[in-house]
Parts: sequence; structure tokens; C-alpha cells
Amino acid sequence: MKINAKSMALAIVATFVVGIGVSQIVGYWKMEGSKTPVAIKEGEFAGLPNPADIRGSYTWEDLGKAFKFDPAWAMTAFGVTDPASKLNTLETVYSKTLLPLGTEIGTGSVRYFVSLITGIPLEAEADNIFPITAIPVLREHSKADPALIDALEAKAFRPGQAAAPAAAPAPEAAGSSAPAATPKAEPAPVVAPAPTAPAASAPAAADVAHAPMVGAVTGKTSFKDLKDWGLDEAKIKSATDGKIGKDGDIVKDWASARGLTFSELKTKLQDLLAAAGK
Amino acid sequence: MAVVNKKLQAKNVRNLRHIIQAAFFVLVAVTVTMEKLGEAGIKIPILPSGSLHAICPFGGVVSFWNLLNLGTLVKKVHESSVVLGVIGLFLAILFGPVICGWICPFGSFQEFIAKIGKKLFGKKYNNFIPKKIDRVLRYLRYLVFAWVSYMTVVSGKLIFEAYDPYFALFKFWTGEVALTGFIALGAVVVLSLFVERPFCKYACPYGAFLGITNLFRVFGIRRNAPTCISCNACNKACLMNIDVASAKVVRDHQCISCLECTSEVACPVPATVEVMSFAGQAKDSYAEKKASGK
Ligand code: SF4
Ligand code: SF4
Repeated sequence: MKINAKSMALAIVATFVVGIGVSQIVGYWKMEGSKTPVAIKEGEFAGLPNPADIRGSYTWEDLGKAFKFDPAWAMTAFGVTDPASKLNTLETVYSKTLLPLGTEIGTGSVRYFVSLITGIPLEAEADNIFPITAIPVLREHSKADPALIDALEAKAFRPGQAAAPAAAPAPEAAGSSAPAATPKAEPAPVVAPAPTAPAASAPAAADVAHAPMVGAVTGKTSFKDLKDWGLDEAKIKSATDGKIGKDGDIVKDWASARGLTFSELKTKLQDLLAAAGK
Repeated sequence: MAVVNKKLQAKNVRNLRHIIQAAFFVLVAVTVTMEKLGEAGIKIPILPSGSLHAICPFGGVVSFWNLLNLGTLVKKVHESSVVLGVIGLFLAILFGPVICGWICPFGSFQEFIAKIGKKLFGKKYNNFIPKKIDRVLRYLRYLVFAWVSYMTVVSGKLIFEAYDPYFALFKFWTGEVALTGFIALGAVVVLSLFVERPFCKYACPYGAFLGITNLFRVFGIRRNAPTCISCNACNKACLMNIDVASAKVVRDHQCISCLECTSEVACPVPATVEVMSFAGQAKDSYAEKKASGK
């Protein structure tokens, strides 16, 4: 059977129209991500929306709805006026050229903000900082430890003037329960202090700043680290639904590539390490 | 008269492809622009809006592993990409990489720059690179494809975005493009002045993926040797420098099904270079053998 250019053109266009049409009819066609973050599966926060799953495509309204707080808090904190604008516009508003080297105000900062407001734990990235306007909002509405907010204030970005250098240590953070406030170049394990998550259980900031701390699972921990700390393959697999990465694989990357929530996995691994005496 | 008709027919077929290419280019540009304007509160109801990743079939391809094994999509990729990925694959199994030849806005963009290159260099255009080197370089895109697929599966993120000149072209004004993306785009623009579709030939991971279907596509480009007058018009017309004039059926992994070589466009002899199904090709070669008494 022969076909000419016209029939081929028709076939191409028809395949697109039919393919997209059918996928729309069956409800599969989606050009945007769902605006509902995945729920935490296990532990004391099970069933609550996971701040780690907040996407840049959410609007401030979506954020308020998903985490059940007034979006005006977040908008005031980040200096935004349009509730229908998307979180990822922050990266443009707070252009990296304005911020201290190695810091960022973007979707990651919003995730951390939500974690502090709601008390739902999050593995925050230490390079995500807040604008100074977020501090009064956090003081008024968050469940965070005041010492942690002080530390966040010390490295907050102040528009119109040079922000505190990213690496300047926050004096209040030392010895407090605020690892997130500890400036460091790599992700710090963070548990947003909540009434149900006693601050004292988090590793001391000073220790984390000189990471890697033996036995503390962070965003940089590899499977080899876990083994070195005394967890054998079987134990690790018991936390990871029977699968395990290569020795050099970073647990966090490995987990996110498999759709596993790192904060949950981290809790399990941390429990196993505690049981193993680490 | 026949010559005039033939020229007109060739022009019509070329126009048909160019109209479809232009339509998809505009559709993509409008969709991406409207998404960005939407973020600034400007919305025009009848115009489509969405992220570039939502309308890129390659996102669907690299998400496939995640989707099958984990039931999740790679970050920033949406279900629409999967649908487009399946449509692209279906069309490629039938006709080869028609997405490249007829749809992909970045392929069209390179063809547009090529017009300037052709004006500058005339017949030398698209013939600068020695054949031996060119042959080897053509496999580079499979390395890119393997690297992108592996990194995307391992990281769960769209790793190619930072280096993607296609992303840079449509998002250059948004502040979302990495420096590496701009460098890649600049390189493609400059190279396109010398070589036809340099990104498609040497670097595009999606082109590499679709290119494999040339080995088994249902409708292939077939040259009818007994009527061929060996004028090489098909070779000269081929954007991808494929040697159509000595092939029976074009199985080259680089063919983009643009149909420029066919008797409807470049080949001056009717029914000599045609698009034909496997069954047609088999019947044809049987008839040929019979006629030659073998
Ligand atoms: S090879 Fe890649 S860039 Fe070229 S047309 Fe095909 S998909 Fe587009
Ligand atoms: S062989 Fe023919 S259809 Fe294939 S790329 Fe070359 S001109 Fe286009």
C-alpha cells in the first residue's frame, strides 16, 4: 500500500486530534500537576499533607487550601500581592543576583515556611532562606521554637540592603534545637518544632553544622553510610519495601526517584539506627 | 506542461509540511507564552496555556520507566506528555519520525536558520563535514539519550532541561533558562548556518529514540530501482544527507520522514521514490525479481 504526502499529513493531524480527544474524554489528559500534595503515609503525621510535595506550580490560594491556613500569611511573608500567582515566580522576584551566594528564596523556602506554620516535619534545604517580612508572620502564627525564628531572622534577606552573609552563624542557633537555622552548604535534617515533635529530639545545630554526624540520616546520607553505622541490608530493606540502592547512592535521591517520601523513610531509618544503638 | 505541474506539486507538498510545522510552532509558542502571562494575571480564555514540559512528548518517554515501576511521573512532567509520547511513538511505528519532520518546533526552527545558511553557502551548505566523521558523530545522540534517560530515572527530575536548546528557545525571556541552555541554543543557531538540523543529527535524545523506528516502521521510503535514472536529486534534497539513491528501502536511523526525497517533491520520475507499506515493498520486490527472471 502506498501513501502520499496529503494522506500522511492527514493521518498525523488526525492522530493528534483523536489521541488528545480520547485522553480528554477518559479524563487522563492533564497539563498541570494536582494541587493536592501527597499525604504522609506513616508515623504521627500520617494522613497530613506533606510540605515536601509542594510544587512551584501551586498558587498561594492552592497552598492555603491544601494546608488549611490563611494564604495571606504566606503572601505577606514573601511580599506577594496576587493570590493567583504561582509559587515559582518567587525565583524571579528574589533573583539570585540579589541574594547572598549559595542562598535562594523560592519554592523550597515556601515548603519550609509551611512546615513551620503547620508543624508538619520537613527535610529542608539549608540554602533556602526567608525574606525578612516572613519573620513577624512566623512569630505570630508558626509553631516553631522562638530560638529557631531568631536564627532564621539572622540570615533573612532584607531588601534594599545587603543580606547577612549566608555563612554567618546565627548565635542563637548554637546549642538550640534549630538545625534548619544552622547555615551550611548542604541540606540539614529538619524537624519543624511542633508540639508533637519535641525539639529536643533533633540533633544539635552545632553538630549538624560540622556534618556528617554519625547516625544522623540527612539528605547527603548514602547507603554505605547506613551500613557503616551498623544497619545490614536486611534492616535497610525493611524500611524501603524490600529494595536497596547501590552503596554510593544517596538515600534521598534514590527514594525520590522511586516516589518514596524521604522524610518518612528517614524516620524509619533513624528508628532502626536508634535500635541498633547509634 | 508536465514540468510545470511537477514543480507545482512539489511546492504544494513542501507548503503542506511547512504549514503544519508553522502551526505547531505557533501553538507551542502561544501555549508557553500564555502560561507565563497567566502567572502575571493576564488570561485570554480561548488561547491554550500550559508549561513546555506538559506539551513535550519526550517528557512522556523519559517518564515511562517511572510510570511503569513506581506509578509516578518525573517532576514537572504531566499526563499530557505521556499521551503525546504515545502518539509520537504510534506515528513513528507507522511512518517513522514524522514528529521530527512535520511537528517538532525545534526542527522547524533549525530549518528556518538553514534558509540563511543556504543563501550564504549555496551548494556547499550541509556538506561541510567529512562523511567519515559525520557518520560517527551521528551516533552521539544515542549517548545523549542514554545519559538523559539514566539520569532522569535515577534523579526523578528532568535533567536535560538545563542543557536543552529547545527549552531555551521558547523560554529565553522568562529567566528560567540556565546559562548552559543559552550556550546550547547559541551553538545550534551557529551550526545551523553550516549544517542542516545539527541538533537533530548529533544531539537530540528524542530524535534518537524515534530514529530507531526507522529500522522497522510500517510505511517506509522505497526507491524503485528499475525506474530510477540515478540523477541523485533525492540525495541532494535530503536534509539528513541520507543516500536514498542507492537504497532500496531507506532504513537509515536518521530519516525524519520529511518526504523531500520522494517523487512528489525532489525525484523527477513518477512513482520512483515513494512511501510504501511493508506488504507493498515485499510484493514489489517479488514482481521485480520475476521480471528480471531471477
Ligand atoms: S530530532 Fe529532536 S529536535 Fe530534531 S526534529 Fe526530532 S525531536 Fe525535534
Ligand atoms: S530519506 Fe527522504 S524522507 Fe528521509 S529524511 Fe531524507 S529526504 Fe526526508
